Order: sequence, then C-alpha cells, then structure tokens
Amino acid sequence: MSRWQYFLRRVLMSIPVVIFGTTITFALIRLGPLDPVSAILGTQYNPQAAEQIRQNLGLNQPLWSQYFDFMYRLFTFQLGQSWVIAPGTTAYELIQVYAPRTIWLGFWSVLIALFVGIPLGFYAGLHPNTLSDYVASFGGIVWRAMPNFWLAIMLVTALSQTGQWTNGFFTWQTWIVKTNVVTPPALGFFESPLQQFLEDPGGWMNSFIKATKQIAPAALVLGSASMGNEMRIGRTAVLETINSNYVETARAKGVSGRSLVWKHIFRNALIPLVPIITGEAFLLLGGSVFVETVFAINGLGWLFFNAAINGDLPLIGTLMYIFILILVGTNILQDFLYTVIDPRVGYEG
Amino acid sequence: MSTPTETEIPLRQRVAENPQPALIWAAIGAVLIGVELGAILQVIAAIAGVIINLIPGDPGAAALSSLQESLKTIPTLVSRDFIPNQGYWDGSQWVGTFLGLSPAAAWAVRVVVVYAYAFAVLAWLWNGYKRYRQYYRRVDWTPRDDVVNRFRGHTWGQFGLVITIAFVVMAIFAPALGPTTMEENILQPYDYEVSYWDEETQSVETALVGEANLGSGSQGAGDENVGPMSYDDYGRFHPFGTATNGKDLFTQVVFGARISLTIAVVAMGIAGIIGLSLAMITAYYKGLADLAIVLASDSIQSLPVIMVLILMLVIFQGTWLKDLYDGAVLIILIFSLVYWPFIWRSIRGPAFQVSEQDWIDAAKSFGQTPGQVMRKHMAPYVFSYMLIYASLSLGGIIISVAGLSYLGLGIAPPTPEWGRLIADGQQYVASPSWHISLIPGVLITLVVTGLNAFGDGIRDAIDPQADTGDEAAATGGGA
Repeated sequence: MSRWQYFLRRVLMSIPVVIFGTTITFALIRLGPLDPVSAILGTQYNPQAAEQIRQNLGLNQPLWSQYFDFMYRLFTFQLGQSWVIAPGTTAYELIQVYAPRTIWLGFWSVLIALFVGIPLGFYAGLHPNTLSDYVASFGGIVWRAMPNFWLAIMLVTALSQTGQWTNGFFTWQTWIVKTNVVTPPALGFFESPLQQFLEDPGGWMNSFIKATKQIAPAALVLGSASMGNEMRIGRTAVLETINSNYVETARAKGVSGRSLVWKHIFRNALIPLVPIITGEAFLLLGGSVFVETVFAINGLGWLFFNAAINGDLPLIGTLMYIFILILVGTNILQDFLYTVIDPRVGYEG
Repeated sequence: MSTPTETEIPLRQRVAENPQPALIWAAIGAVLIGVELGAILQVIAAIAGVIINLIPGDPGAAALSSLQESLKTIPTLVSRDFIPNQGYWDGSQWVGTFLGLSPAAAWAVRVVVVYAYAFAVLAWLWNGYKRYRQYYRRVDWTPRDDVVNRFRGHTWGQFGLVITIAFVVMAIFAPALGPTTMEENILQPYDYEVSYWDEETQSVETALVGEANLGSGSQGAGDENVGPMSYDDYGRFHPFGTATNGKDLFTQVVFGARISLTIAVVAMGIAGIIGLSLAMITAYYKGLADLAIVLASDSIQSLPVIMVLILMLVIFQGTWLKDLYDGAVLIILIFSLVYWPFIWRSIRGPAFQVSEQDWIDAAKSFGQTPGQVMRKHMAPYVFSYMLIYASLSLGGIIISVAGLSYLGLGIAPPTPEWGRLIADGQQYVASPSWHISLIPGVLITLVVTGLNAFGDGIRDAIDPQADTGDEAAATGGGA
C-alpha cells in the first residue's frame, strides 16, 4: 500500500470515530441521571413550566429521533443554544467569545514547550552524562510531575509577590507594561489587526505585548508537561542518532561538527518528536480547565467546566463535539506529518 | 542431562530435604508477623464485617463485632497504643506520652518504627526470594532473574521504588502514622476531649477537640497560624501544621495518600483486566473483532480525558454511586472506562506477535479451548508490557484525581484528598500559612516523580530495548 492510500484510509477511519465519540457524549448527557429541565428551572421548579420546557426542547420526542436530530445538527454545524449559563445565546457566539483566549494560551504554550523543551533535550543529548545533562533531565522529570493547577497557584503567588520579595526592585505587574497577574488577556487587537496596526503601530504593539505578558505565566504552566516530554524524547532521540552507523560514517568522512549536528542528527532526531508535539493537543485541552481556572482566563476550558457544573447540556454536547474534532484533526495531522517526514510509514500496511 | 524425575520433585519435598534455610526464614517471619498479629487479625475481621454487611440478615454480626472489640486489645508494635504521642504537660512533665517524651519526639519514634517495620518486612520477603532461588528452585536460571538483575543495576528505578514504597507504607499505615486519628480530629471532633496545660490558670484543663481545632486554624496571620513542626495552644504537635479549619494537616495527608493510592491502583487494575481481555480476543480472533475494538478504543481516546471525567462526575453527582466510599468508587469506574483503550493499545502489538507463534497452533491442535489458549499461552507474554504501561500511568491518575478534587468534583469532604487541601490553602500561599497548599503539592510531585522513575525502572528491566516513543501518553502530565 502506498503511503497516500494509507493516509486516505486513516482519514476515512476517523469518520466513524467522530460519530462514535459524539454518540458517547449524547448517551452521557441524555441517558445519564442529570435532568436538563431541573437544571434550567433551578429552584423555581413547577410541573407546568417543566412540561413547557420539555415541549420546547423536544425532550418529549422518542430518543432515537432526539439522537438523529442531535447528530444532524452537530454535523451540519447548527450548534444550538446555551440553556443555562447564557440562555438564548448561541453556542457559536459563546465559542467566538471564549475560544480566542484558549487559542492564544495554547499557541504560546506550544511555542514555549517547543522552544524550551526541544533545545534543552537536544543539548542534554549532545552532552550525555555530564552535570548539565543530569540537571536538565532531572529538572524536566520533576517539572513534568508537578500538577498543573498547583504549579499555577505557586506561580501566581510568586508573581504577585515579586515586588515585596525583591524590595521593589522588580515587580511583575509593572514590568514592561502594567498588567494584573490573574486576568483574561485583552485580545481586542486581533480584530482586523492589519488596519489597527497601520493606524496606530505603537498602540497595537503595546496591546500585543500586554496580551502576551498576560498569558505568559499560564502558558508556561500549561506547556510544562509537554515541555518535559519533549526534553526527554529529544534527549533519547539525539543519543540514538549519534550512536547510529550513518553518523559514524559521516564523521569518518570528515563532515564538520556543526554540519553533523544540524544536517544529520537534528533532522532525524525530530521524527520521534512528531507524536509528542501533536499529542500536546490532548494535554492542552485537558489541562486548560485547571490553568484557566487558576489564572482566571475565561476560555473554552473554563466555559466547559461552568457548562458542566451548571448542567448546560446542549453547550456541553457542542463543546465535546468541537474538542473531539480538534483531537481527531491533530491525529490526522500527526499521520500526515509522518507520511511526509518518514518515507517508511505505510508500506507495511 | 537431568532425568525428568529429578526436576519434578515437589517444592515441599525439596524443602524437607534441606530445611534449615526455610526454617530460619520462617522463624524471622513469625516474629515479624507476631508483633503485628493483632492488626492483621483486625484487618481480616474488618473485611469479614464488610462481607457480612452485604449478606441479608447479617448472620453472626454481633459475634463478629465482639470479636473485633477483643482483637483491638491485642497489643501490636506499630500502633498508637504502644507508642502514644497524645499527652499533656502537667506543669513539670509530659503525661500520657511514650516514655514521657514530648509529643513531637514520641510521634517521631512511631514514624521511625513504622517505616523500620515496613522495610524489615520487605527485606524479609526479598530474603525469602533469594533463599528460594539459592536452595530450592529447580533451575539455575530463568529469564525473570535477568529482569531482577537489571533492576538491581538501575539506580533511577530503585530511587523510584523507595519513594513508591514510602508512599504505599504511608497509605497502609495511615492510622498509625498520624499524630492524631481521623475519627477524633476530622470526623467527630466534638465527641472527643483533649487535655492541655493552661498557662493562665497554671493547671490542666480539658477542651473538646472541635473547640481546640477552632482555636488552632491556619488562616494567614501570625497568631492564627500553626506552621509545620510546631505545637498549637493546646499542646498538640502538628508535623505539617494545621489546615485552615484547625484539623491536623499530616493526618489528612496520610489518609489522602490512602484514597489516592486506592483509586489509582484499583482503576488501573480494572482497566488492565479489560484491556488484557480485549487484547486476547482481538489477537485470537483478529478481523472483525479487532476492527470493532479499534473503533471503540479510537473513539474513547479521541475524547478529551479530563473533560469526560468532569462531565461524568457532574452527571453522576446526585446518584447513589457518588456515595460509595465518598465518591472514590465512581472515580475508579470512570477512570477504568477511560483508560482501558490506552492499555489495550499498548499490548495489542505484542499480543498479535504472540498469536502468530507456533505454540499457539500447537495448543489449538491439542484441542485446547480458545479461553485456555488465551489464558495459558498468550496472556503471560503480554502481561509485562501491561505492567510497564500501568506503572507509568499511576502518577497521571493521582494528578488527575487531585485536579478533580481541586475543582470540587472529586472526593467528597470530610474525607481528605490532596487536591482539596491545595484548594483550601490557595488563598494563603503568600501568608505564613503557606504550608497548607505547598506541602501536598510537593508530595504529589515527589510521588509522581517516584512512580515515573519506578515505571522507567520496570520498563528497562523487563524490556531493555523497549521503544520509548509511546511513553508521553502514558506518563505524568495533564491536570
């Protein structure tokens, strides 16, 4: 089988996976003991109103028709409305408000993880069994073992106290631009960025830096787990590559040290890192609930948590569907990267 | 060449021929078990009590409870009765503590005795294995010896093992380790009294534990804080200080360790059983069975784990499931449902390899049933891969449970859980009461590091050439 056929099969396989995953979500929110009607009415429960709501929401329909309705709407992206936390608002509008913060957070987490984790791992791999290798490796392992939410709490405290601890010499809140430690990032500059930048470059840059600084501590925490993973895998990969025959050959042929590292070791060591990097989507989606809660970044994770504890079932269904799409999408992306980078993939079937 | 009869002598006969090493070992064991016999019998009686509760009509419940009471009077070495640390100062000396030591010293002695005892038992078991290997085993060498030897050369794995053992001992001996008891300090503080030396009246006074707790909470300010390694106003020693509500933090931490460990191990065990059974089925029948389970597991894996956990905990909030073991049973069930696909994935490949072997065909042609083939000839070969994955995942579960409790969804109060302790102390991190959040967090980090190191050690010992590519999903992170 050629690798493109393999890849095509992979994409086709993901369709039943999305259907199955969404079905599980439907089963949880409709068949579970949670009653959406009492969640909407809260303390003002009375039978007539309950019946009315049941009628309006189509909960009187047979289950199979509810199920097909639910699936049809999701797959045609008619995402429905929130019932409890923002009644009457469409899920689409809510996502438009909350998603940018999470994307901004995720973007910087991945970036920090990539640009700290991989170089540190490669450095450790190129200098194996030295003191700096041990410090880097051990640090990475411990860093990875820390619970995200706890690390976030500690970081929030540390940053809030920087002024007192350094006796006013360095204060995080006033450093470069004035920001609060715990706050949703102001992402207004994202709307028509080009126009705003042309009108007021200084102001635009200022709000860009401000939003970056606001998200940086949270991104550091959220990236922590994957940073540790990348470091570890990077180190192992470099060590394995260094000891492989073709590197020996290249060295014997007199390839210079720098070219050896960049052309021969670096490229090949990146291959095992591909699943780690795409796998970050899982860590980011899961961990964002905690990090967003501690840092008060009102993003998708926070929205999901609130929708869940308030029993806002349609919103939960929609958000789950979107998370599933993101995760399945990253999985396909991972396989795509594999087929592009590593020509050996796919032939065996 | 050895004759068949020589290798088929039963173990009992081999011991009878050379009884000395076995007898020495058994004698040491008798002493070790003897000093804790009361506690062991109590545990058995407690389990019997649970089983009797399940039987309608409670036959023999009264007899059992009187037996339980009488078992409590048997003195044991590692117990708070033998080395008491809760006493009071009567103006000139400590009353009611071990050998008249200060409560801190008496508590420290008990902790040392607990750990010394636990490590003595482990050393005894290890010695038993070595004796068996040296004197009684039929063969000189098995592949498992190589695994053991490789692990003995693995410093990082041994570091993990020590941390893991320390954590497990903490969970098992939780009632003996705490400076006070769960019942007295946390569950029913108003049913117990504490005696203390009152500086003003210069006499010994008594107070209800609940009142004393109110007076010794850690809520930031200097006079409202009982830090680590200090005494409160009622002469009670707190190794980790007190929580915001004045309850002893160390006691909560050790009982929190118990619930975390139970959840992680049981959930992984159930997920392992499901994963192993499905791997056997897919590897044996292949084809359609495999495709169906691939789809099911891919779908579950495509769900964001933490989100599913949150959703399911919320959905089952009001049900009877939530009340079993303060919600731990529900968490265990959810974790096993969410984790089995990962385990199944990690052993699917090895299971397929085994199913291609000649001995499987041979077993089939001998007329063995599919169940027998799977159990006897396939499962043992993939079991070690499962062990690797499971040991690397335990830390992740402990972190997730703590995270869920932090959000207020996990274990219900008053049962202590590390994540909830962190949440309780969150607003005091920058104050003198920093210990409430910091200590549980440091302990989680330490335990998870240890479990990951132990998992690495097991992996390197079982399969030195193991592919390290998949481990990111398995270990640590998240939450």
